[in-house]
Amino acid sequence: MIVRLNTDLAAGILGLAFAALLWLPREEMGRLSIVFPRAMIILTVLVALALVVKAFVKPAERQIEIEGSPLRLVIAIAILFAWWYAIGLIGFLMATAIAFFGFTWFLARIEMSVSARRLIMWVPIMALLIGVFYVAFTEVLSVRLPTGSIWS
Amino acid sequence: MEMFFQALMSILTFEGLLTILVGVTAGLFIGSLPGLTATMALAVLLPFTFTMSPLQGLMALGAVYMGSIYGGAFTAILINTPGTPSSIATTFDGYPMARQGKAYEALVAATIASVVGGIVGVAFLLLLAPPLARLAVVFGPAEMFWVAMLGLTLVASLSSGSLLKGLLGGCFGILLSTIGVSPVGGETRFNFGIPALQGGIELIVALIGLFVVPEVLSMASQGRGALPESGKLEGGVGIAFRKMSRHIFGKPVNLIRSCIIGQIIAIIPGAGGNVTSLVAYNEAKRFSGKPDSFGKGNVDGVVASESSNNVMVAGSMVPLLTLGIPGAPADAIILGVLLMHGLRPGIDLFTETGVLTNGFVLSMGFAALFLLPVGLLGGRLIHRVVVKTPFYFMLPSIVMVTILGTYALRNSFLDVGLMLLLGTIGYFLRLIGIRAAPIVLGLILGIIAENGYVQTMLISIADPIPWLGLVENPLSKVLVALVLLSAATSLLPSWLERSGRMAKTTPDENPDRVNPKEEGKP
Amino acid sequence: MKITTTQWVVSLSILAALVVPGVAAAQQYPEQPITYTIPFDPGGISDTTARFQEPHLEEILGTDVNVSHRPGGGGAVAWSQFQSGAEPTGYEMIGVNIPHIIAQPIMRNNAGYETDNWEIVSFYHFTPTALIVSEDSPFETLDELVAFAQENPGVVTLAGSGSYSGSHLDVLRLEREAGIDLTYVPFSGTGPLPAALQGNHVSGLLDYTMLGVQMEDTGRVLAVSSEERVPALPDVPTFREQGYDIVGGAYRGVAVPKGTPDEVITKLEDAFAETNERITEQQEPLGFVMTNITGEEADEIIGELETAYQPILEDVQEE
Repeated sequence: MIVRLNTDLAAGILGLAFAALLWLPREEMGRLSIVFPRAMIILTVLVALALVVKAFVKPAERQIEIEGSPLRLVIAIAILFAWWYAIGLIGFLMATAIAFFGFTWFLARIEMSVSARRLIMWVPIMALLIGVFYVAFTEVLSVRLPTGSIWS
Repeated sequence: MEMFFQALMSILTFEGLLTILVGVTAGLFIGSLPGLTATMALAVLLPFTFTMSPLQGLMALGAVYMGSIYGGAFTAILINTPGTPSSIATTFDGYPMARQGKAYEALVAATIASVVGGIVGVAFLLLLAPPLARLAVVFGPAEMFWVAMLGLTLVASLSSGSLLKGLLGGCFGILLSTIGVSPVGGETRFNFGIPALQGGIELIVALIGLFVVPEVLSMASQGRGALPESGKLEGGVGIAFRKMSRHIFGKPVNLIRSCIIGQIIAIIPGAGGNVTSLVAYNEAKRFSGKPDSFGKGNVDGVVASESSNNVMVAGSMVPLLTLGIPGAPADAIILGVLLMHGLRPGIDLFTETGVLTNGFVLSMGFAALFLLPVGLLGGRLIHRVVVKTPFYFMLPSIVMVTILGTYALRNSFLDVGLMLLLGTIGYFLRLIGIRAAPIVLGLILGIIAENGYVQTMLISIADPIPWLGLVENPLSKVLVALVLLSAATSLLPSWLERSGRMAKTTPDENPDRVNPKEEGKP
Repeated sequence: MKITTTQWVVSLSILAALVVPGVAAAQQYPEQPITYTIPFDPGGISDTTARFQEPHLEEILGTDVNVSHRPGGGGAVAWSQFQSGAEPTGYEMIGVNIPHIIAQPIMRNNAGYETDNWEIVSFYHFTPTALIVSEDSPFETLDELVAFAQENPGVVTLAGSGSYSGSHLDVLRLEREAGIDLTYVPFSGTGPLPAALQGNHVSGLLDYTMLGVQMEDTGRVLAVSSEERVPALPDVPTFREQGYDIVGGAYRGVAVPKGTPDEVITKLEDAFAETNERITEQQEPLGFVMTNITGEEADEIIGELETAYQPILEDVQEE
């Protein structure tokens, strides 16, 4: 998909927005803590303004191209965040089992129709994959993975 | 000398060699997982070394360190994800090579470069430690500020599109680095009322997010795997090895230059391996006959990055063993182990307790040698797995490992969310021409620059004009000159080129993605 | 299909093991592995000490003790998380450090935790600070340094690790005690300090005694901030001996959530006391002072230091 967008202008506005985000909620802070960030915020604003000016004088690209399907992009982003949210809710193992399965199914459908038999065949492969990493992290690296907040 | 041979003999036993082999392999796998850094590899394996004799324990740690720095190259080349921060620069050309079906060649080149780098570092350490160590203490806060500035001139070559957008990315990175507790002053900044943000944005969290997530998202939206399936080996290990060694040793200037850069940066305390590979890459590009080919799969970029970061492993031991100054983050753990065994850093370390020290240093050399077989075989295995795995298994696996690695870094659930958020934003930033590399560079150097700047201001607080402290020492002046020189040589050509040939540069705005035409091959 | 079934069983049992939380009773404590969180980076002093303790604790308690790291914000990230989320079962404990847990809640508008919202099991370490100058420094004694600083306010620069850490607070106290004006330069941790001194970037270091021991050959230790001389540095006089009432530094300890059963705390106290005895031989030469401060005594120390630090910190805040 090709979207018409002046990329210089977009980058410039983004820079200004980010600078504003850090500039506005200024709490009381000692000089030593704020001198460097403030200098950097000013620098960011200057660069962003330069980009905005350039956007009108000599713009670089007026369009951006999202390769592939934008719908799939949005769904993929949603899956990532849902996965993360679910880990906090129902624990790493269960969330990953569900998200892994769902993500795989979603991706596989791009290329082929997924039969029920194939879905069942995936289960041991995924259980092995998830199990190996789970055991490696919890047992060998002794990382305590989230077990989920709704169980307790 | 006697102690040197005594140490050599104790390594050249079955047990000694086995320890190193196991250490290298373990390090390699941990290092290749995004999020699991060399520091973590060492920390995890530390308890195991308590059960060993001091020498064996140190040998194991040296081997793990060497292996994990090298392991970062695997994921950098195969899935565009630096396994450790020290292999960021490896992605620039390694991944494009992989996309062109030359993944194994890139892996072989990285392996050869790492082996040479590792051995060169050990040689420097054994022969030149005392004079090099003297150089380490010259770098005070003011000098560190200029080192960071010198590093920031890299933005010019990392942005490879619009320079202004590269600068903006660098600013974003620096601003991100200021979130959390201020290094001087100890106050919380920009935490938006979330106590957990006091920890700031960890470099590796941003690194994983900005490199992995955009790649995963674009693979998902395009419905493709990381590597073209046609990317098979031609003729196996032997041919690739011969071809790459002929290329690397045929014109060894790049290799030599990268090794020297690696050693110099390794002894600057606090700069560490995160920057070495970027600087070496930048110089390789600057001195190359065809700088335009960098970022599009030039094997010299991989060689520069991987040789310099492996020099750093033994190289950063110079200030550590002689002065007790850890040059890279992972060195702090080595220092702890040395102290635990009653080894106090100092020149005496090489004479009084020479067997242990020499044994430790030599074991890193052997570890570097072992990278060759382990890397060539392991690389082939991992390469085959990555190419053969259908992309609908590959993507969820990458995401799972990324989540695990990010979580394990600080046992922080918030970090995982930050990683995903930064990555998603990074995807859209990439669309409008702001790439990940300048942001990460800003994040690395922002902390160094701020510390250097504010500390200098404090130290010269009693002077009439405090900021003159920044240019007081002779070395500071040299560094200022270098910054100006570097800025001039890297900015001018790109400016000239851009103003003169607008049309030609536009297709290269985003070298992360290979030309659509090439990709469409069946 | 045989493999499939086995895998199912394996994955289901892994799931089951995770979903059902351990319903352990306090009587048989400990029945499951204990998580020991270190709020700092791996490789730091707190971490290395925890790794010394780990095998002994495991042996005494008869269960696994897993050291895990949650660094960030000078410890505050882990502490805020611990106070808001840890279960008072005795299976979660965390390393705590004075002065961090006193200074951070005072200095930050939202540190996310409170100084005393947990039960201190034990402070097992006391680490005094040491004033170190380089070998070729013009200052032979503490008095010379103080005299010079009196005439040249702000010129003497002392580096240490972190802001509002043990080093920073002791510099502030030295300023008050001697009526002088010093400049404190915080560095990120102990690592870069030796280089700062040897490269003559600062006039001296005020950091933990371990550094004094480590730098014995390259520097000169002028004073230590303990009540009595430190065993590893027998020739160095204390601040008190030289007429400055500065006794302080850092305490390292371990805490469990409020509401943890008393039997559990007693058991942990004993385990740490025993561990301390076993590791003294390895730890003292490094410059630590071993302590075993438990129960009310621990709360008293926190209270005392809180009243000592509060005015100093508030002074700084107003500046």
